[in-house]
Order: sequence, then C-alpha cells, then structure tokens
Amino acid sequence: MTVTVEKYSTVGKSIHRIDALEKVTGRATYGDDMRFPDLLHGKVLRSPHAHAKITRIDLSEARDLPGVKAVVVGKDAPFRGGEAIRDQPFLAVDKVRYVGEAVAAVAAETEEIAERAIELIKVEYELLPAVFDAVEAIQSGAPLIHEELHTYPHMPIVKPVPNTNICAKFEFIQGDVEKGFRQADYVFEETFTFPSGHHCQIEPFMAIAQADINGRITIWVPNDAPHRLRKDLADAIGVPFERLRVITPPYMGGGFGGKGGLKVEMICIALAMHTDYRPVKILLTREETFTSSLMKHNAVVTVKTGVKKDGTILASQSKLIYNTGAYAEKGPTVTLHGCESGVGPYKVPNVRVEGYTVYTNRPIAGALRGYGLPQSSFAHESLIDMIAAKLGMDPLELRLKNALEEGSINPTRGDILSSVGLKECLLKAAKEIEWDKPRPPNRGVGIACEYKATKTPSGSAAFVKVEQDGSVGVITSAVEVGQGIKTILAQITSEELGVPVERITVTSPDTDYTPFDASTTASRATFHMGNAVRFAARDAREQIFELASTVLGVSPNDLEAANGEVRIKGGAKKMTIAEVIKSKYKAGLTILGRGSYYPEIQGTMFSARSIFYMYGVQAVELEVDPETGKIKMIKVVAAHDVGKAINPMACEGQIEGGVVMGIGTATFEEVKFDEKGTMLNPNFRDYRIPTASDAPEVIPIIVEATHDEGPFGAKGIGEMTLVCTPTAIANAVYNATRIRLKELPVTQERLFNLLKERKT
Amino acid sequence: MKRVVRLWVNGQEATVQIEPTKTLLDVLREDLFLTGTKRGCDSGECGACTVLLNGQAVHSCLVLAAELDGQEVVTIEGLSRDPTELHPLQKTFIEKGAVQCGFCTPGLIMTAKALLDGNPDPTEEEVRYGISGNLCRCTGYSKIVDAILAAGEEMRRNKP
Repeated sequence: MTVTVEKYSTVGKSIHRIDALEKVTGRATYGDDMRFPDLLHGKVLRSPHAHAKITRIDLSEARDLPGVKAVVVGKDAPFRGGEAIRDQPFLAVDKVRYVGEAVAAVAAETEEIAERAIELIKVEYELLPAVFDAVEAIQSGAPLIHEELHTYPHMPIVKPVPNTNICAKFEFIQGDVEKGFRQADYVFEETFTFPSGHHCQIEPFMAIAQADINGRITIWVPNDAPHRLRKDLADAIGVPFERLRVITPPYMGGGFGGKGGLKVEMICIALAMHTDYRPVKILLTREETFTSSLMKHNAVVTVKTGVKKDGTILASQSKLIYNTGAYAEKGPTVTLHGCESGVGPYKVPNVRVEGYTVYTNRPIAGALRGYGLPQSSFAHESLIDMIAAKLGMDPLELRLKNALEEGSINPTRGDILSSVGLKECLLKAAKEIEWDKPRPPNRGVGIACEYKATKTPSGSAAFVKVEQDGSVGVITSAVEVGQGIKTILAQITSEELGVPVERITVTSPDTDYTPFDASTTASRATFHMGNAVRFAARDAREQIFELASTVLGVSPNDLEAANGEVRIKGGAKKMTIAEVIKSKYKAGLTILGRGSYYPEIQGTMFSARSIFYMYGVQAVELEVDPETGKIKMIKVVAAHDVGKAINPMACEGQIEGGVVMGIGTATFEEVKFDEKGTMLNPNFRDYRIPTASDAPEVIPIIVEATHDEGPFGAKGIGEMTLVCTPTAIANAVYNATRIRLKELPVTQERLFNLLKERKT
Repeated sequence: MKRVVRLWVNGQEATVQIEPTKTLLDVLREDLFLTGTKRGCDSGECGACTVLLNGQAVHSCLVLAAELDGQEVVTIEGLSRDPTELHPLQKTFIEKGAVQCGFCTPGLIMTAKALLDGNPDPTEEEVRYGISGNLCRCTGYSKIVDAILAAGEEMRRNKP
C-alpha cells in the first residue's frame, strides 16, 4: 500500500454530488421527462414464439386505423447491428429467435392508438425446434439459430464457428496445464451453474428518434456509450457518422451495463425513418424491459485445479459456457472477461481457460455489472474453499498463500501486474468480519476474492473550457449513470485548475459537441475520462499561466492556481483567472484546454492486457435456519482496491449497492421460463430484487494501491462490487451447514430441500 | 369521454380534463408536467411514483385520477421550491450520499416523509420496513436509511 500524504484540495474528499440537488427536488431530467410538441408514440409487436419462421404479416388493418402514422416490419429497415457480431436485425426478418423479439412496430398520435394498431397486426408463423440450454445448443444436431453466421461482420477478437451455435470461442494458455496436474498432489474438478438474472434498472428502457430533411437521424436515448452507439448505428445502416447524432438525456435511471448497444434504439430509428420527420418515442413497459432488453448470462463453468499438499496451486483449467440467447450482443466479450479472470486472482503457473459464447432461443444476454465474472468467480472461488476443506486449511490462508501481489504474473494473460492491493483487501476484510471468532451453530462466514480487467485499449477525449469570468465547463461524453462521474470529473478539474467545484459544470453527451469516449462501462470512466479531463484542465491551466506570467512578470513555472486565482508560489501577488483572461482578450475569449487518453498498448479493443486491474475481497457472515432453510444475512464486509478514491463516499455507495445486488443474485434473483421459452416472472412481484429489509449491514473498506497512470492514482470500482458477493455467501452457507452449493440462487426452497436431503 | 377533475396539487388548484382511465401518475406527468414523479413499473411494485394523497403515501400509478376530485396531492416538487429551504429529507439525502442515479429518489423521499410524519422517531428496523415498497437498485439502501434517520432527528429538533 502506498501511504499518501493528503496534498489535494478536492480529490479524496467526499464532497456532495453536483447532481444531488436536482435529483432530490425532482428537477433532474431523464429520457421520459423530455417533451416534444409533435411527438408520436411507438409500440412494438413481439414474437410469442422462441423460434419460428414468419410466413405472413398483414399490416393493412393497423395501417388503416386513424391516428396511425407508420407501421414498420423488418424489411422496412433492413439493417443488422451488433458491436461484437453484426447479427441482429432492427426488427425480425424471416424468422424470430426468442419470445419477445420485435416483429413489427407502430407510431401513432397516442399510446392508446399505437396499442390498438399493434393488436390489429396479423402474423403467421411456422414453428421451428428451439433450444434453450447452452450445453445442448453446442451438441451436434441442435437446432441452428443463425444459419448465416459465417456472413456476419464481427470484431477481430471474436471468432464465430459457422454452422454451429457457437458465436465466439476464447482460449488462454500459460505454461503446461497437463504437466501441472501431473505434478500436483491433489486435483479437484467441479462444475457450477450460475442463473440468468436481470439488471432491474428502475428506469425502463426508452428512446426518442427523429429523422430530418438532410437525411440525418437524431436519437435521444439513455445509452451508456453514445459514441459507440453512433458507430454501431453507422455500421448497421451504412451511413457516415455525420448522418447520426446521439444525445444522452441529462440523467439515466440506472444502467449496470444493460443500457449500452442497440436495443430500443433500432426499433425507434426504424419508425423514425417513416414518420415524415416527426419524432417518435418508445418507452418499454416493465414487462418488455424484462423480456426484450437484456439479461445476465446463465453460465455453466467447470474448474479443475491441481495443488500441492501445502496448498500451492500448480495448475488450473477452466471451461466456461455462457448462454447468450438469440443474439450475440456483448456476450462474446462478457465471456472473454469471464475467461480472463477464469482461474482467480492467484499465482498459477500452468493455466488453460476456454470459453464459449453460445446462441440459444432465450432472450438476449449481455453486459451486467461484473461482465462475466460473477459466473466464473462462483466456480473457482467455490472450488478454492473445497480444496481448503480437503487439505484441512483455512480458506483465508489458502487464498493468502496463492494471492497475486505486486510484480506477480497475470495467470491468464502472462503480463506482470502492478498496483495490486489484493492481500491488503484480504487481511482487512478478514479482520473486520472477525474471521477467527468462534461462532454459534448455524452461523457461518465465507470469503471470496477476485481481480478484474477493464476493456483495453480504449480511448477518451475531453475539452475543458475556461470562460472570461473564470467559470469552467467540462465537455465530455462520459455518461452519468448514477455512479457520480459528473462529480468525479468536476473534482479532477477543480484539483488541476484550482477552481472551486461550484464554478464547474459538466456536460451530458451529445455526439455533435462532446468528443469521443469509448463507453461508460468496464469501470473505466474515472481512469480513462478522468485522465482525459485532467490533461484538458492542465492544458487550460498552462495557457492561463502563460498569460499570467506576462502580467505578473515571472516564469509560468513559478505560478500556482487555487480558489479561482493564479498566484506566485510563496508570494503575495495574485490575480483571478477572469483577470488573467481579460488581460489579453479584452473583448472576450474562451480558453480551450484539450485532453485525451489512450493507453500505450497495441491491439484492437479487448485484445490486450488490461491497463489496470481492480482487486476486491468480500466476507459474509450469515445464519441459516436449519428447519426452514431461511438465510439471515448478518454482515457483509467489502474491501476494494480502487487505486485512489477521488470521492470516498461515492466509492462506498458503489460498494454498498453492488453488495446488495449480489445478495439478490445469490439468494433469490432468477429469470424463469416455461418449456416454450416464455419468461414467467417479468415483473417486480415475481422477480424480486432486494428491498431495504433484505439489506444487511454492509461495511465498505477502501484500499488504495495507487496506479502510476491513473488520475491521482485512481483505477475503478463499479463492476467489482458484486463479483465476490454471491460466492462469499455460498462459502458462508457451507461454513454454516457443510452444504456445498453448486448452483445459485440459493433460495430458501432450494436450501430447505438440500437440508432435508442431508438429513435423510 | 373526458371528465373535468379539480385537484389540489402542491397547494395549488389544478383543473384537468382527462379520460377516466388516466392514473394520477399520467395526470401529474403528462397534464401538469410534474415529471419528478417517476414511472418505473406502472403496476405498484417499484414505488418510484409515490406521492402523498391527503397525507398518505400512495403509488400514483394505481390511483385513477378521475376519482380524486377535490383531493390533495403533494409531489416531490411540492416539498420545496427554493434550494435554500430544502425539506430535511432532501438535505440529508444530499449530505449522506443517498442519491445515485436518482430515479427512485423522489418516491423514496415521499414515502419517507409519510413515514416520519406518522412516526417521528422510528427505529432503523421501522425505517427499513417502511421503505421496503420502494425499490432502489443503486445504493444498497444503507445511505438512504441513514438519511431518513438523520432527517427524523432534525425534524424532531426543529419541533418545539
């Protein structure tokens, strides 16, 4: 750990969020709060079948309904989109691949008319055999979901296997895993299953799109990556960037990875192309948000690990099968990241990880906080505890013995690691949960740890403009999804420019004005955009110092900025930034600072070693009622290495939120389907998420192993926060009951049955 | 067939002509432009649309507006119009870091207001139970609970 002397004025302080006032007074604008005078309302007809040919569509009655402006089907917007693989039609063409897929859409004067028109559309289908299970879908003879897979454009790192349902395959090999197993005293192998779940952002999905006479399309959408969206749309439609404009509403009501890519965007644009330039809005219902936006991957992961008697891990092999549903979406790179962390945060000399992203006739699965790691982590972090039990070792001790540390080799990619706060996280979490304390019967503690990459390489650019009165605007495409990025960027700018946060505004993205940012995902925003903004602020400061040096008669190197003023270091002479600008530009001008960050790492996106790794450890104490199987969460301790906390309270908020999401994931959240592929619980009554009554005491611990290249040493936090929770719970359940869970969620019913089995 | 309904919203009279199928949420958002009240599920399960109806917290998506003639509604916009005179709950939500994406925040603050109005000195358990009809996916609730307890304390202090 690096001990830092507190030398910053704003960075490292838990200042209040700059968007909090708007949010607590109900004045913050979200997508559905925007008003357009001539707005049309869109509704979507969705497939009732999991896999079927569309043999006939009759739109005549819908089109004749008064108040209907446009009715579109797949051939009216014959485009395919998708970041990893361009496999998804804007609306289904010729066949449907999951229950809930968009088949037709209507734009009408009111929502009610649009709904009535949808009911008047007649579609005839010819059913095809469907496959829902990823393991079945990769067997020969399984129904083929994408016959044209070999024709789809795709990311360089994604390798689809034509004439199968494997849309991507990944492999990481280091050393010789077979040799490692031969040298081991014990070899363990187990298979674990992780359920699909839903993000459950409280804001439903929506978009507003409008075409104009110049052939341009503007879309207002809470999407976590407006520049990526513009590229995905440009690639799909086959137009250059200037024909598309993406505007992110000021605020997004939760994302968690789900609100990126192409979802309601495609349908909304298909309609907007046919409404005589009138804007059209689609607001998904909660049911549609469940069935037809995005889910988390259900996964089957097999881990095999060889250890010496003393617990040293010699070899680890892992096979991951991720069910990505009907379209690839971000499934391939979710699987890739699952693979990257596939043997855990341990020094393992011999490694082989293979991952498969598999098409099925389930709704689409993609990015959800943790990006494939909750699934892979559940497997290897459960197995570590099983190994500890067999060796008679303490699970904490076994982890400490093998844990990655400064200078360790990344077991899957082979790069040398720096800024590694794992051991500190393990020790602090263990101490706080009182790991060694004797506990009464039916109480248990469990621990789990992990490391996570961010997508690399990826870029961010920003402007910082200083106006003639000394006020500052940060021009950035980072998206405020709730994590607090606007506040973080204001703090970084304040620190670098010496201007109080109150005088700084931070934009929301508009691709016409705000420069490139890869995405607000992968816990990358503070690091990447933080750097870009810091460099832009520094550039502005240097220009200001240059001007001030003339007036004050000293070298720019002798100046410093604080509190909106430029002053001579150690001297009394000072002037405000406004005075500095006016000293030269008497008729007014903006000082424009430019900044961008792109790591010095070769390769296409996702192909390279990560520019930083996050480390996290969570420890759980719980109690199991042996009669009913009910789990009572007592306490969760979550220690996370964030590099440097720019705003500690925001980091704590991320940790507390991720942990509670992880408790839902572990103990009751699961989307369920009938045998025909229809989702059975697409609402908050049947798909329960944690309430305040379900949430236990959560103790966040921030560890700061600063990163040389991060802004003020910062790395990231958001995604790591729920990765360890499910497995720490599973390990605590074992500790309390000696029942090893190989499948989640551990609902009360499932645990009750397991306890009953054990008795008989 | 539209009906004329006269409501008292945030202390002001509001007369609207509405279809009988419209909910209070529809009227607040679409007719009165009070978009601080959020639409999250339209079925009374998420709590984002919570407002006070005659002092009671209700899911405005489950209340038919046509039945509310002469009744009194308070929305998040009605809690304070002036940033220097925030309601204690609004202040403590900011101070304790209880806000992240903010989509659930208006509903939670309205529920918490009804809770504190009825029980000025609740235990943590009572707060957690009291807000369990309001879903938040970002915060894990800890800081929200802290904010509500702190606001209760401030409200008790301010009461003679």
